[in-house]
Amino acid sequence: MLALTRRAGEKLIIGDNIVLTIVEVRGDNVKIAIEAPKDVKIYRGEIYAAIVAENKQALAPLSAEALEAIKKLPGRK
Amino acid sequence: MQIESTRFGIVEVDEKDVLCFEHGMLGFPEEQRFAFIAYGEESPFAFLQALNNPELTFMVVDAFQFFGDYQFELEDAIAIELAVSPDEPPQILNIVTVPEKTEEMTANLLAPLVINRKSGKARQVVLENSQYSLRQRLFPDGFPKETTSGEGK
Repeated sequence: MLALTRRAGEKLIIGDNIVLTIVEVRGDNVKIAIEAPKDVKIYRGEIYAAIVAENKQALAPLSAEALEAIKKLPGRK
Repeated sequence: MQIESTRFGIVEVDEKDVLCFEHGMLGFPEEQRFAFIAYGEESPFAFLQALNNPELTFMVVDAFQFFGDYQFELEDAIAIELAVSPDEPPQILNIVTVPEKTEEMTANLLAPLVINRKSGKARQVVLENSQYSLRQRLFPDGFPKETTSGEGK
């Protein structure tokens, strides 16, 4: 992992088309501006991690009873 | 075509039911092709079976059948990528998690699957600044009585 020190107003360039600008540093908070191609999706780390964890949780095997019970369920519309 | 599923054995799948998640599911970037397997004609539930991994099966739900007011705005870039529009509306599905107590099953409303059923292009989308839950109970009051009769007697 690369660790760099930057000041407010300075930039980081990742590859040829991603630019991070440190906009402001105030106490514990850092404001970062990100310029990236539209197809590069940017996530907050904790949200991304939570969704990955939930996707993994969703793959837990199901019992035959659970499958049978769910098959009988109607929608709630 | 036939595909292999740990949960269902060998399943016959129509080519038009193969969905391509170009970016994979979050956490599973290498799994890009999933077969949509309906769960009976009436059921709001269905399955997505990874084509290259028999063990990878997601249960999904048509959340609109449960949450009539569920709505979100699709980013332009994603709408363009999937080629969906008001004239070509996407199908929305939400991944279901089933805990030990089946009736506490939840749907992930925060990261819906947006699908163009015509082209098969699909993507799991993360809703930014959304109040929707990762784990929204589908049956907050337990299963409807008529469907659970005959069990637990």
